[in-house]
Amino acid sequence: MSAVLEVRDITVRFGGVTAVEGVSLKVESGALVGFIGPNGAGKTTLMRAITGTVTPQNGQVHLSGREITAWPVHRRIRAGLALAQQIVQPLKAMTLAENVALAAGARKTRNPLKALLQTNRMPELARARELLALVGIGDAAEARPGTLPLGYLKRLEVARALALRPKLLLLDEPLAGLNQSEAQALADLIRKLADAGQTILLIEHNLREVLRICPTIYVQDNGRPLAFGAAQEVMADPKVRQAYLGGQA
Amino acid sequence: MAYEITLLTTMAISVLFALSLNFITGFCGQISLGHAAFLGTGAYTGAMLAKAGVPFLLTLPAAAAMAATLGVLVGLASLRVRHDFLAITTMGVGFLFLGLVRQQDFLGGELGIAGIPATGLGKIGFMALCIALAAAFVAFSLYVRRTWMGYVFESIADNEDVSRVLGIDVARYKLAAFIIGTAVAGVSGALYAHHFRFIGPDSFGFVESISVLAMVIVGGIGSVWGVAAAAAVLSVLPLWFQVIDDYKLLLYSALLFGMMRFAPDGVAGLLRNLLRRRKAVTP
Amino acid sequence: MLYLELFIQGIVQGSIYALIALGLTLVYGLLRILHVAHAALFTLGGYLGVIVTNATGSLAFAVVVAMVVVGLAGMGLYKLAYEPLLDRPPYIALIASIGLFIASEEIFRLIFGPYGLSYAEAPLQGQFELFAGFFLKHGEALAIVLSVVLLSGLAWLSTRTRTGIAWRATVSDPEMAEAFGVDIQKVRYLNFFIGSALAAAAGVLVALLNNLVEPTMGSVPSYKALAIIVLGGLGSIRGTLLAAMALGVIEAFGTIYLGHLLDRDAIAFAFLILVLMLRPQGLLGKAS
Repeated sequence: MSAVLEVRDITVRFGGVTAVEGVSLKVESGALVGFIGPNGAGKTTLMRAITGTVTPQNGQVHLSGREITAWPVHRRIRAGLALAQQIVQPLKAMTLAENVALAAGARKTRNPLKALLQTNRMPELARARELLALVGIGDAAEARPGTLPLGYLKRLEVARALALRPKLLLLDEPLAGLNQSEAQALADLIRKLADAGQTILLIEHNLREVLRICPTIYVQDNGRPLAFGAAQEVMADPKVRQAYLGGQA
Repeated sequence: MAYEITLLTTMAISVLFALSLNFITGFCGQISLGHAAFLGTGAYTGAMLAKAGVPFLLTLPAAAAMAATLGVLVGLASLRVRHDFLAITTMGVGFLFLGLVRQQDFLGGELGIAGIPATGLGKIGFMALCIALAAAFVAFSLYVRRTWMGYVFESIADNEDVSRVLGIDVARYKLAAFIIGTAVAGVSGALYAHHFRFIGPDSFGFVESISVLAMVIVGGIGSVWGVAAAAAVLSVLPLWFQVIDDYKLLLYSALLFGMMRFAPDGVAGLLRNLLRRRKAVTP
Repeated sequence: MLYLELFIQGIVQGSIYALIALGLTLVYGLLRILHVAHAALFTLGGYLGVIVTNATGSLAFAVVVAMVVVGLAGMGLYKLAYEPLLDRPPYIALIASIGLFIASEEIFRLIFGPYGLSYAEAPLQGQFELFAGFFLKHGEALAIVLSVVLLSGLAWLSTRTRTGIAWRATVSDPEMAEAFGVDIQKVRYLNFFIGSALAAAAGVLVALLNNLVEPTMGSVPSYKALAIIVLGGLGSIRGTLLAAMALGVIEAFGTIYLGHLLDRDAIAFAFLILVLMLRPQGLLGKAS
C-alpha cells in the first residue's frame, strides 16, 4: 500500500486509433521508475491520462490511494502530482524566481478570494531561489526566460514542479534536446532528487541515461505494457529487445 | 464652471468603464469585444429603477448585480472558447444584447429611455461621486496587481495550460475577473444613464465596445495609470475640439491601427521603453 | 409554399454570405488572422460597381473592374497592414484590422457622403416567375448563378492547377510547402487577391439588390462573416460554405418566427453562440 501512483487497466482511444490499451502500472513511494518505449508506444498518451489532459475510455488512476481518474488537472496537482513538461513553457513575462514562486505559493492560490487577500511574495521568492540553486540554475534566478538556453528552461520546469512539494514528480522527456554532457548532468540531478526520497516517474527516449540512473524500468510498446521490473532484467528480456530493434528476435 | 463639471464627470465615468475592461482583458488576458453590453445593462437597469422611483444610490448595486449576472454567463462562455473564438463570442454577446434590447418595448425599443430623473446630489455632488468611484477602482486595481490574485491573473494571461499545471483553478479565476470587471462596468453604466439623462441602444453598440478597447490598448493593456489616462483624454477629446467630432471615429480607429502597428504596448509601453533606454545610456 | 420561398431567399442570402465569408476563411486558414477589414473591400467593391456601371452603362464590365481593383487592394492591404504583424500575438492583428475597418467606413463616408450612391438606371430589377406564385428578381438569380460560377472556379483552381495545389499545400503545412520550393509570398498575395475579389463580387451584388451603396454597408456583413467562419470551424472552406448557407436559411426563417424577440442580425450571433457552446470548435472544425 505504499504505491504513490497506481494506474489500473487504462485504455485511451482517439477516433479510430487505440493509443493505449489495458495498461496497469504501480510506482512505489521513493522509487525512480524509467518509462521507455519506441516511437508511437503511447508514452505521452499515458502520461496525459495520468495528468488529466486526456480522459481514458476505461480504467482508473489512483494517487496515494485516492482515485483521481475524473479529476481536472489542477485538482490532481493539488493532490500531489507535479509535472515537468517536454515542451518547456516558462511564463515569459516573469523572472525564473517568479515562475517558481508562483508554484511555491500553491496554498495561497487555492481560490481567488484567498488570493485577493495575500500580498506577501517574499517567502515564496526565497524558496524559489533555493530550488533554482538546487537544480543548478541559481545564477539565473532574476533573469527572464526569453534569452536562456534550453538546458536552463528544462531545469526551470523541474524546479517549478518541485516547488509544489509533490508526492509524485512526473518528468516528460526532460533530456530531449540536450547535448550529451547537459543530459548527463540533468540525469545526475534527477538521481540525486530520487536518492533524497522524491518519487519520480521519468518518461525518456534517452536510453543511455535512463539505464544509468533508473533502478526500475517500465516498457510500453504499441500502447500495451511490455515489461516492468529491475533495469537489467527488463533490458535482457527478448521481447523488449525485439520491440526496440525490430525484425526477428 | 458647469461645462468643466460635465467634462470631469464624463472623464471619470470613462475611466471607470475602461478600467473595468482592463481588469478582464489587461489583467486576466481574456479578450472582450462586447464590453459595451455591460455598460448598457447597467445603464438600462439604473434608468428603469430610477424611473420607478428607486433612490439613485440604490440603483448602483442593482446595476452592478445585473451586469455581473450577464458577466457570469459570458465568463462561463470564456471557459469553453479561447482567443479568436472568444473574441467573436464576446462580439456576438454585444450584438445579442443590442438585438434583444431593440425589440423590447418596455426598454424603450429603438428610441431608448428618456427623462431619467436627477440623482439628487446636484451636479457637483454627482461629479464628486463619479471621481471618487473612479479613484477607488484605480486603487483597487493597483492593489489587486500586488496580490496573489494579480499574480495568478498574470500567469493565466501568459499561459492557461501552465497555470493549470501549477495547480491553479483557471476557471474560477476567469469568472472572478469577469464578475468584478462586469460589475464595475455596470456601475459605470448606471452613472452614465444618470449623467446623460437619456439612453438608447445606439450608445452601447460595437463601436462603443471598440472605443473602450481602444482606450485600454492606447493606455497599455494591463497598465492601470496608462488606461486611466488614455480613457480620460480620449473620452473628452472630441468635446475639446469640436471640429474633431466629425472625425472622432476616424481618429480612434487610426489610433487603434497605429498603436497596433507601431506600439502595441500602448503609451505605458512607450514610456517604459523610454525610461529603460535612458537608464542604459546614463553611466 | 411559404417554406420553399423562405428557403430560396435563404439560399440567395447565403450565396452572398458565402462569397464574403470565403475571403475571410482563406485568410484565416493561411495566416490565422481574423481579417475584419475584409468588409472594407466588400464595400469598396460595391462602390466601384455602382460608379463604373453609371459611367459605362455595363454591369458586367463593372463586376470585372471591381473584382480586379479590389483584388489588388486586398494584396496591398496584406503588404501594408498584416505582413509587419505576423510574428506578434494574433489579437494585435485582429485589433489592427478592426481599426482599419472602422477607419475605412469613415473614409467612405467622408469621400462619398453618408447617404450613399445609387445606380443611375438600376439593372436587373425585373423578375421572373420561378414557380407558381413565387417571383425571383433577376438580381437574385444572378446572385446564385454568380456565386456558383465563382465558387466552382475557385474549386477548379485549387484542385486542378499547380498554383492551386501549391496554395493548398501552404495552408496545410507552410514549412513543408516552402521546402518543396513553393513561394510563400506569392501564395499569400494570391490568397488575398482571390478572397478580396470574391468580396468585391458580393459587394456589387448587394448594391444591385438594394440599389444602394453606403459607407456602413460592410458592418453587418463583416460581423456576420466572422460568425460564419467561426461557425464553420475556422479555416475550413467546406465549413464556411455550409455555415454561410445555413445562416442564410436560418435568418430567412428566423426573422419570420423570432422577429418579435430578436432583430435579424442578432439571430446570427445567437445561433453562433449556441453552436460554440455545444461545439467549441465550430461545425466542421477540428477539436483541439
